[in-house]
Amino acid sequence: MRHILLLCLLALPAAAAAYDLGEMAEFNDHYKNARYEDALEGYKKVIAREPANPWGYYNAGNALFRLGRMGPAIFNYAKAFTLDPRSSDIRANLDFALRQTGQTLVPENAPRVLHYLYYSLSDTELQAAAILLFWLACLSGGAGFLLDGSKPGRLAGKASMGAAGLLLLSLAWMGARQSSTFTSAGVVTKSGGARMLSGPGENFKTYASAPEGRLVKIMDADDETYYEIGLSKEGIKGWALKTDVDRL
Amino acid sequence: MKLQNLTAKLLHTLLLAAFLCAPAAAYLTVTAETDQPSVEINGNLYLTVTVSGDSASVPEPKLPNMQNFNVYSSGRSQSISIINGKITTSVSFTYILTPRFIGAQTIPAISVSNGKETAVAPELKVNVTRASQPQQQAQPAAPPRPQPGRQPRRAQGGGGTENHPQIFIKAETDKKSAYPGEQINISIKFYTSVPLSSNPQYVPPAFKNLISEDLPPVRTGETDISGVRYAYSEIKAALFALNPGPAEIKSATVVAQVPSEDQIDPFDPNFFQKFMSMSGAQGQSREFSTDPLSLDIKPLPTGAPAGFDGAVGNYTVLASADRADARVGEAVNLSITVTGSGNLKAVTAPKLPELGDFKVFDTMSSLDIRKEGDLISGKKTFTYILVPRAEGRKIVPQVKFSFFDPRAGIYKELHTDPVALQVEKGDQAAKSVNFNPSNAVPSAVTASGSDIRYVSERKGSDTLPFLAKEVTGLPLWAHAVPAALLLLSFWLAKLNRFKSANPLLFKFRMARSEASRDIGKTEALIKAGKNGEAIAILYDSYMAYLSDKCGVKVSALTIKKAVDLIKARFPRVSERSVEEIQELWSALELRHFSPSAAEAEGTRDLARKYSLLIELLEKELK
Repeated sequence: MRHILLLCLLALPAAAAAYDLGEMAEFNDHYKNARYEDALEGYKKVIAREPANPWGYYNAGNALFRLGRMGPAIFNYAKAFTLDPRSSDIRANLDFALRQTGQTLVPENAPRVLHYLYYSLSDTELQAAAILLFWLACLSGGAGFLLDGSKPGRLAGKASMGAAGLLLLSLAWMGARQSSTFTSAGVVTKSGGARMLSGPGENFKTYASAPEGRLVKIMDADDETYYEIGLSKEGIKGWALKTDVDRL
Repeated sequence: MKLQNLTAKLLHTLLLAAFLCAPAAAYLTVTAETDQPSVEINGNLYLTVTVSGDSASVPEPKLPNMQNFNVYSSGRSQSISIINGKITTSVSFTYILTPRFIGAQTIPAISVSNGKETAVAPELKVNVTRASQPQQQAQPAAPPRPQPGRQPRRAQGGGGTENHPQIFIKAETDKKSAYPGEQINISIKFYTSVPLSSNPQYVPPAFKNLISEDLPPVRTGETDISGVRYAYSEIKAALFALNPGPAEIKSATVVAQVPSEDQIDPFDPNFFQKFMSMSGAQGQSREFSTDPLSLDIKPLPTGAPAGFDGAVGNYTVLASADRADARVGEAVNLSITVTGSGNLKAVTAPKLPELGDFKVFDTMSSLDIRKEGDLISGKKTFTYILVPRAEGRKIVPQVKFSFFDPRAGIYKELHTDPVALQVEKGDQAAKSVNFNPSNAVPSAVTASGSDIRYVSERKGSDTLPFLAKEVTGLPLWAHAVPAALLLLSFWLAKLNRFKSANPLLFKFRMARSEASRDIGKTEALIKAGKNGEAIAILYDSYMAYLSDKCGVKVSALTIKKAVDLIKARFPRVSERSVEEIQELWSALELRHFSPSAAEAEGTRDLARKYSLLIELLEKELK
């Protein structure tokens, strides 16, 4: 009986995926026939209805790429990547689009395998793993205490220690991900690039510009009109209009 | 023998690695030149520093400290060429130098570094001559040499008479109203007819709805005003309004050490205060400010062309490609150059028409600003990277550029000539190019021959993301449950361990709670009229309590033994407590073994007495 329940639970997303498959195929037909604007409209509907669906973003990124709108294309690929970082299609297209703007998905000199492992889980999956490990550590620890002195009690204690160790590892991983390229980040989506001012207003000097499609760090989003953005590679930061930068 | 072979192989490997690495090393060069070998003291000199490298981004030169010149940045221009997949970048940084001293002056060596290598441009010699116009001489006293850069107006007295102040400052603009983006020049003049004790300090004004651009150099000279000879210093700046509506120039201030006008009477009662305020022999410190100026910024007329993007001034536009022939997949630089007068910094890239024959990559812009005749002019070049998709004669159509001419008061729309390119069949390896402007190594530009992957039919989340979403969607309080269970288990385990390790102490500590629970039961039985059972429970409870406290089994406990043990273990127990113990024992024994004597009232009294005795003993038996 329990096995049947588990199978039902696992089958739920598959059933959800099957639903409306025809609609996505219709939008893909537009794409296939080079009606990229029509396809993009369709994908936007999918994104609005299912913001956690990476394939809506991925397909929208493709349509935008074909339309030559590199900034929004990279933004959509990056969104898809944050939702499903293991997908080889998403990784390939994000990397391809980034290269068109002088960026790379895998930093120079970083082993690809290490990069893949670092992004093998999405932020949500990493959080869920930490939560489950916390539950496992607590419950097996509780069982260990209740069966104190017995062999099963000792086994439960070991399981608890193991889960706690993995929990610490996952927390460290989450901490390290805070400095990743895609955390607290945005993409310059304005055609022609975003001006970087020395302060949040037109009274301040423009002293740099971030090209379209550039992944930037969003350091401060409190201002109504401007983000404080940072370009870590160049080591500069400045203020850019929120309309010029889309937050991931 | 094996060791020798191994050593030889290792050496070969190292030599091969060194040989392979050598061509990959980046190169960096820097050159510096001036537009003229000599300059008058009141003139300008353009210094151009060109940095070249095999990366798309080259470092900016760090100018050395130049005491003999005032230095102003005047823009930069960039050119990138990609030949056979190799990027070469050349960036020219232009600076305006205004000399400070007459004679042979030296511009020190200028170096740039990209972190890996350093390049140095040799020092330059410049001859600074006297001004050709006799009016513009060096000031005799020490008129202000403030930092150039902003604006002001109007006069304020500084000694002398009402009509002829010794020192005053004056600010004025060349126009009172303008369009957004139209150049407005402001002049700030500081006049003095007396020698100053030290170099004055200039505090530039702040602006509202305006941005400023310096117009160097600081001009100095002498002039007659109403018969009084003044030395003056003039600072000019170009202003550009941002939006229609009022604009304001706040006060500019000059702080100067003015020679004291009054002799100090040594017999003056305030002699010391006056003496100290003179700051030694330097005179008094005085502040001279301009009044704020208001400008009216008119809105741009209606009827702007469709492609108008805010450019104001007077411009021409030209399109050119860096070559006439190319191969499929090879990058071609298309440059759109906007030349003319106006705020070129605000000019944005013209939008290219639909180019089906080309893939269009990055747009880069370079700026070269000139400030001759107090007019901001120059050129801004937008470079587009085009990659031909197919062979044949390909045309880049006209590119439109619109601007507003403030002098004529009309919008103008210009277009470039079409640019023709002869595209030949490309190599297999050059079908597609990844342009990577941030990479220095040639290997970053690779011929991949690839494209983005096709759209996906997939929809919805996979199992793992779905479960993850469900888990992270749980309310926060739910995660407190396992923690609470863990704590509870821990407490129970601790209790069990303590009980096993110290059974007598555990019983000693638990005696009171057991007795309290028994008293509760007794009261329930009394209410139910079961006095006999109540007495039995009370008696057993009392025996158990004393047994737990004394650490002796109930069967081995007598009243005498109990009292002796309590006295021995707890010397501080009072005689009253001992008497109470004995009395309660006797009373319970009597009623326990003579049930007929157990009445409701008496039983309730005994329960209360037992309760009070426990309270007393808990304080004393510690």
